[in-house]
Amino acid sequence: MIRHLFTLMWNRRRANALLIVEMFLAFVVLFAVGSIGTTLWRNYRQPLGFTYTDVWQLNFTTGQQPRAEQFGTLQQLLARLRSTPGVEEVALSASNTPFSFNDSRSSIEMKDEKGKTKRSINNVNVYNVGPELPKVLGLKVVAGRWFDRSDVASGANPPVVIDERMQRAMYPDGESAVGKMFPFDKKEQRIIGVVSAYRTDGELQEPLSSVLWQILPTDTIFLPQSILLKVRPGSGAALEKQLADDVRRIGPGWSSTIKPLAEMHQSQMKQLLTRPILLGSMSFFLLLNVALGLFGVLWLNISRRRGEIGVRRAMGATAGNISRQVLGEILVLTTFGLGLGLLVAAQFPLLGVFSVQTSVYLTAMVLAAGLLYLLATVCALYPSRLAAGIQPAVALREE
Amino acid sequence: MNQFPTPATQPAPVVAAAEAVIQLTGIEKIYQTKTIETVALNHVNLSIQRGEFVSVMGPSGCGKSTLLSIMGLLDEPTSGTVAIDGRAVTSYSDRELAHLRNHKIGFVFQSYHLINDLSVLDNVELPLLYRSGVSGKERRQRALAALDTVGLGARTRHFPSQLSGGQRQRVAIARALAGRPEIILADEPTGNLDSVMGEEIMDLLLTLNRQQGATIVMVTHDEQQALKTERIIRFFDGSQVN
Ligand SMILES: Nc1ncnc2c1ncn2[C@@H]1O[C@H](COP(=O)(O)OP(=O)(O)OP(=O)(O)O)[C@@H](O)[C@H]1O
Ligand SMILES: [Mg+2]
Repeated sequence: MIRHLFTLMWNRRRANALLIVEMFLAFVVLFAVGSIGTTLWRNYRQPLGFTYTDVWQLNFTTGQQPRAEQFGTLQQLLARLRSTPGVEEVALSASNTPFSFNDSRSSIEMKDEKGKTKRSINNVNVYNVGPELPKVLGLKVVAGRWFDRSDVASGANPPVVIDERMQRAMYPDGESAVGKMFPFDKKEQRIIGVVSAYRTDGELQEPLSSVLWQILPTDTIFLPQSILLKVRPGSGAALEKQLADDVRRIGPGWSSTIKPLAEMHQSQMKQLLTRPILLGSMSFFLLLNVALGLFGVLWLNISRRRGEIGVRRAMGATAGNISRQVLGEILVLTTFGLGLGLLVAAQFPLLGVFSVQTSVYLTAMVLAAGLLYLLATVCALYPSRLAAGIQPAVALREE
Repeated sequence: MNQFPTPATQPAPVVAAAEAVIQLTGIEKIYQTKTIETVALNHVNLSIQRGEFVSVMGPSGCGKSTLLSIMGLLDEPTSGTVAIDGRAVTSYSDRELAHLRNHKIGFVFQSYHLINDLSVLDNVELPLLYRSGVSGKERRQRALAALDTVGLGARTRHFPSQLSGGQRQRVAIARALAGRPEIILADEPTGNLDSVMGEEIMDLLLTLNRQQGATIVMVTHDEQQALKTERIIRFFDGSQVN
């Protein structure tokens, strides 16, 4: 019976070409949307590595103040913040704070014993953060330790903390990175600990490997301009105003902007989801169109093929046979369209156009195919019932 | 014809020599439309014996096609009973009726009713497609044999549109034969053909009847053809006349 359906649909391929093309296009669009959706979903499922409730970001500008004085002023400001009731923890950070859309990326070259580059690890997020960061953001140290007082004096091999993704990238065999040297610039650095993750790009963006350096109080070259504050739950506008006033009072000509990370997170989500949602709703309407078209064609086909249905009934087909045939035919057509679509879709993992994992493509293919079959089935339900209800004697008389 | 499978719905009957294969009792068929009521068949009592070749004649609109549809279980009478092999089919489900049509009955229509998108061979295989337990290979063989019988063994890959009217009708007959039914119901099988072609088809049906014992009911307008059959049933205005 399945062979019969394929033969029939193959013989009718010209008449059904438009439908097949429609299915093909629908598949390609679904595949694209599915790939994007799957990627977003997978990213979303990865742990962020930190919590951002009751954390505020304070960014400041130093105005006209001479550079030499800025470091002193910053220390005063930090002291002031630390003694402010309602502020529980304070940590400095370079401008690539969570959800800020700022990033600082680098690549790391892994070398063999002879100093030749074995491979490079690209797109590594690099952070300069105050040692209090774990207390502010709840970073989880999974191996080794976080920065402490002893690191301030360690001259030869500055300490560095990496995240688990970086550890896997450096040692794919699962070796621990703690105690190993970290190849960065000319200076060898020592890995003292591993945190689970620190995805400041947010949960929707591809997780990248991270490296964290500590900001030393003695540093007079790099002036961080972001401060992350853990505040008492329920703190609001009053505290915000007080902090802004403090910045203005302590720093001559300084100004600040304060934003809760939760708010930044929300606006980032909105921004990153706008396009996928737009694409998703466009493809939804496309699918609706395809469904209506399919339904129309099926309906028309049934009324055109009443004679054929009558003949099949006369030859011994049950009403069930007829309705299954209508359904089967559309599924076969869907399969034709899908086959073409898969040929196109398979090019993406094969040619590696985008840096997307093959498994994402496979998931998207399965999703798209499943959805199309479902769509075809739903569209065929009513027409197939209609076909099953045709009275053979009446249908045969009509021709 | 006892070598053919008996429908599962019926335990193999012990067949009396002259038992009726089709028995119509008090058949009435009324077509009801909004404005008029047409009595297509009016209390028809009729029995067709096993192995008979019967022709049905009558003016246009007298109910011949309706009669054949009812005999072939394609249509239900408004009242009266149809019995196949002595069993009334009144309470049969759609499935059981389809089973009977598939195993017992072969239809030949006036307008061929071939499926244009299927090759000759695929068309002829159709009845076997709806029969469980027939392998693809066996289907092919039996369809080819049926096509040989009607002299079209060389045209299996053609499509209906590539055949002449007579050839199409022969394909339609082959399709009716492929399932090796006991009963062949033919509604004006030669109506669209010239007399030579008509003659050929008629000879084919006669051969089937005589050599293979097929029971045949044929509607015809051709007195010459009707005379070649064993019995002529005449209809007028939905009733049998003698
Ligand atoms: N579906 C229907 N609705 C209404 N009337 C119908 C229907 N089918 C048949 N009839 C009527 O029933 C009567 C018998 O029709 P039928 O087709 O059986 O005649 P026939 O003897 O086969 O005629 P012909 O020789 O022209 O084929 C006709 O008067 C016809 O108009
Ligand atoms: Mg007729």
